[in-house]
Amino acid sequence: MFLALREMKHAKLRYGLIGLIMVLIAWLVLFVSGLAAGLASDNAASIKHMNATHLVLQEESDHRLTRSALELSALDEVQQAVGEAESAALGVRMSTLTKEGETKKTDATFFAVDVNGMLAPKIIEGSMITDVTETEVVADASLKEEGFRLGDTIHDQATDLTYTIVGFTEGQSFSHSPVVFMNLKAWEQAQPKHGGADVGPLVQAIAMNTDNDTAAKVSAELEGVEVITKADAMQGIPGYKEEQGSLLMMIVFLFVIAAFVLAVFFYVITIQKMNQFGVLKAIGAKTTYLARNLIGQVLILSLVSLFISIALTYGVAYMLPASMPFDLSPMLTLGCSALFLVVALLGSLLSLYRVAKIDAIEAIGRAA
Amino acid sequence: MSTQLWLENITKEYGDGDTTVKVLKNVSLEVKAGEFVAVVGPSGAGKSTFLSIAGALLSPTRGKIVIGNQDISTLSDKELNAIRLQRIGFVFQSANLIPYLTVRDQLLLIAELAGNHNKEAEKRADELLLRLGLAHRADHYPESLSGGERQRVAIARAWMNNPEIILADEPTASLDSERGRDVVEMLADEVKLRQKAAVMVTHDKRMLDLVDRVVYIEDGMLSERPEQVPHPVH
Repeated sequence: MFLALREMKHAKLRYGLIGLIMVLIAWLVLFVSGLAAGLASDNAASIKHMNATHLVLQEESDHRLTRSALELSALDEVQQAVGEAESAALGVRMSTLTKEGETKKTDATFFAVDVNGMLAPKIIEGSMITDVTETEVVADASLKEEGFRLGDTIHDQATDLTYTIVGFTEGQSFSHSPVVFMNLKAWEQAQPKHGGADVGPLVQAIAMNTDNDTAAKVSAELEGVEVITKADAMQGIPGYKEEQGSLLMMIVFLFVIAAFVLAVFFYVITIQKMNQFGVLKAIGAKTTYLARNLIGQVLILSLVSLFISIALTYGVAYMLPASMPFDLSPMLTLGCSALFLVVALLGSLLSLYRVAKIDAIEAIGRAA
Repeated sequence: MSTQLWLENITKEYGDGDTTVKVLKNVSLEVKAGEFVAVVGPSGAGKSTFLSIAGALLSPTRGKIVIGNQDISTLSDKELNAIRLQRIGFVFQSANLIPYLTVRDQLLLIAELAGNHNKEAEKRADELLLRLGLAHRADHYPESLSGGERQRVAIARAWMNNPEIILADEPTASLDSERGRDVVEMLADEVKLRQKAAVMVTHDKRMLDLVDRVVYIEDGMLSERPEQVPHPVH
């Protein structure tokens, strides 16, 4: 480190500039990662945190909850397979709400659940709906920011029905819209009336808490269904895959860019110093000694840059409005930082190769 | 006097089979402790190759090299590295100092490489700088030194590991004759003082009165008699 530190001290501007680029890239990586995680949870919180491992959907619904339609009778068969307490029906319908007496519209998703079952939301304010009411609902707390309060009456644009908010839950969203819970009875009321025989209400999915083997068995035994995992269901939320995919691509590109920026920087610097490395080798420096100094520089530069960018990221996150979906966990930060270091070291391999190839004889007979 | 550097029947060939070029042909040289030898000859005569082999930078095709009392002809690259670090001091053509190290750090680098960077090394560095008249420049970077000062730092650096031989590759090439003379005088004084061996490759004839012995190299062959060199060195 004798050489590494002294060189960095002497060429402050050069190393400062490359450090600045590293800070900016690492900052962007962390910020986009936080945003991706935040958007994922904002988009799919209800599915992500759902107390279930698998979902039974209608076949050919392409993993999309909103495309599926199952007869409620399917629940009985699933319950026989996995147990009554470990399965529950789930109705999903995206709609638009207005507060009674106002004209401002708000997007929301209705979830129909068995209020005593495993999918029942946790109430943080007000009270839980009963399983007999047809006009009461529990809404996600984020609706409060839209001006909805306990006791407010909401109007569902799609069905022209009205409901009263009797309780609030939290962390429930689907496709970036807040979730409003109702019981299956109210759900049935809201179903469009079919012309033919009464088949009972249609639900979108049956949630199950079970292992993969039982899930496969259910899939094989029931006709006209497909069984998907919770992760599949998240991917199937409209826009989720595209959103996460493009953010992930940005993050991957940033890592690749970081690797190349460092690789090129250290490569150019190494090429500039070929003669110097020749002299060092001639006076007895081992390749491992020179390699250690080079890696030392890469590590110091990366660690300092990471430290600054982590501070910047958390600083900016602190100033962000609460409604901004940003969720950077310490684990995610550590993971990104570790990956960043690995990428930086990979970038220095090319330079290490050049250093190893330098022949001490370069130093003789040369007027530098 | 003991022999510090002994080259015996050194031959260096480049190329393979059909197109072999012999750069050095059966070259022998013995340098004793306290002796300062100049190697002169025209460009392309093999001076640099000769110095590279004497300096353990290049292995000869045939022949034997003994530095101090150690035969280094059969050592591996890694072992040669250690030999260069511990037993040989180099003074290169244009000083070749490390631009981002202060004068004092240039010397301490040698101790650092040898793994004995300690108080004693620092004392030795300070003494060397004092004796070579560089004490007031200890914290300067090479960029703010004159050519002569740089070459003096290079000499101090070469002495830093207390080597058995000093090899100088045209140390006066980038200096005017007065500065060049100072530098070579300094080198000669140190050789006498420490009773070490030194070999200087040069084509600067004006320095030859400062050395103990001059050997001539031409067309890969070494001789003690200048008559064998048909063209005057320049």
